[in-house]
Amino acid sequence: MKVNPYALKRNITGYLFIAPQLFFFIVFLVYPIFEGIRLSLFKISYQETTFVGLDNYKALFSDPVFVKSTINTVIFVVAIVALTVIFAIFVSSAIFDKNAKYVSFIRGSYYIPVMVSMVVMSMIWSFLLNPANGLIPYVMRELEMPAVNFLGNKDLVLPVIIFVTFATNVGQAIILYIASMIGVPRELFEAAEIDGASRKDVIFKILIPLVKPTTLYIIIINIIAVLKIFVVIQLLTGGGPNNASTTLMYFLYNNAFKYNQLGIASAVGVIMFVIALFLAIPQLRSMLKKE
Amino acid sequence: MFKRKNKRKLEKFDLIANALVIFFALLSLFPLFWLITSSFKNSAAVVKMPPDWIPKTFNYGNYIDVFSNQPAFRWAINSIIVSLVSTVALVIVSSLAAYAFSKLEFKGRNLIFIIFISSLMIPKEVMIVPLYRVVQDLGMVNSLNGMIWPNVATAFGVFLLKGFFDSIPDSLRESARMDGASELRTFFKIMLPIVKPGIGALFILFFVQVWNDYLWQLVIGQEEHVKTLNVGIATLMQDLNPNFAYKMAGATVAAIPMLVIFIVFQRYFTSGITIGAEKG
Repeated sequence: MKVNPYALKRNITGYLFIAPQLFFFIVFLVYPIFEGIRLSLFKISYQETTFVGLDNYKALFSDPVFVKSTINTVIFVVAIVALTVIFAIFVSSAIFDKNAKYVSFIRGSYYIPVMVSMVVMSMIWSFLLNPANGLIPYVMRELEMPAVNFLGNKDLVLPVIIFVTFATNVGQAIILYIASMIGVPRELFEAAEIDGASRKDVIFKILIPLVKPTTLYIIIINIIAVLKIFVVIQLLTGGGPNNASTTLMYFLYNNAFKYNQLGIASAVGVIMFVIALFLAIPQLRSMLKKE
Repeated sequence: MFKRKNKRKLEKFDLIANALVIFFALLSLFPLFWLITSSFKNSAAVVKMPPDWIPKTFNYGNYIDVFSNQPAFRWAINSIIVSLVSTVALVIVSSLAAYAFSKLEFKGRNLIFIIFISSLMIPKEVMIVPLYRVVQDLGMVNSLNGMIWPNVATAFGVFLLKGFFDSIPDSLRESARMDGASELRTFFKIMLPIVKPGIGALFILFFVQVWNDYLWQLVIGQEEHVKTLNVGIATLMQDLNPNFAYKMAGATVAAIPMLVIFIVFQRYFTSGITIGAEKG
């Protein structure tokens, strides 16, 4: 085969440009994925590493804490994503065609908690909800509602975490929806108005269908974000009471860094990896189609 | 927009919706208001009910305690180093790669790009055990290096910047090359200045993302002197000190840098965040 020296040089130039990024990508992302799959087949202790096949996976599926973690993670994903999409559509559709200063004020108010981070927001909420001296239990006492311990009650702890996570992160979805709604051609609304459509009709029949690609994007990024939900669990409940609020990521972390069960933790990671990959397929397909 | 044109009064539905939106917006700011006011109270006032909505006396002591009882200043410096170095490194390697994927032709380009983009949706946290072992083998546990370099693996930068390079006409590069400029020179002198807005958006978004990336920094930085601000402040939560005002002062210290960044760079956030959605 004849080697075209020009093509060869072109190839080498291309590889040199991507080499640095590729290096980090392989060392810190691709290799750990394969290493994670390998580790999940081993029992790992300080002294030795023994091949155990699929035993780690079998152990997981008969571990009630793992099952609870999985169920909780699914509940969180479904509830938080649904709340986020509905609320973000509500806010954005109400304000997108208003004065720019107003839009920017509302957008900023909802986005600031996102910026300030889950760590700080979790600390504030833990203070607000504190049964002894928090503001929320005080307000409830004043309103003569029954005293409840939000974070210590196994039926209340999930809704509280769902609310806190939703309230902290919804700002991102709002920014995305506003941008997308501002981009909808104005003539569409004007035509509908001339036909006598009410604002409700405009929102439900024109706006929401037209921003569907944004909705898909928001759903995917939020699923992935909630799948790894960790900070709020660690800082608000520690997975309690009695594992009522544990999640896959929290379970993985404890196994890896508290109980030193690296094989088990790797298996949890592989399961989460498969879930993420599976959920990401529709988004990936649409992203790649655009290329 | 279309409302103003038709000079029609706001519909009732719209009015109620906006009233609710404003109400919830204020509600969503309330925790931060509570955080900042609480941080200035003394240990008795902070748990007093009914509360003083505005602290009666401004007590800076909590902040002095945070910085004197804890190496909070060190933590803040660590957070700045980790976020800044990660971001600068990512901007450099990903702009080179995004340019290559957009403008250069080489074998396997599309396949490698597809693999890159596919990794975007995988949270790196799920691979935390093998990643920890890699960092351990490199001797970077309990060091800022261990927190920094794995961040540069993400395809986020390539994803965000490639669109900017795509929008530059090929003729620009060809004419530069014809004038005898090397590929690297063309990249630095002609291409990079054009994609500046993209780099700005990537810089600010990734800086904040790394700053708030708690779990990885928690796992790698166990010793006091390498903790980052968020990790260090979170340990205050478990502190036996029952003074909530002190803890809220710590949380405020962690919150302030991000608030400032948001206020100064708001424009970049709006544009940067929406790029992903437009491409998706």
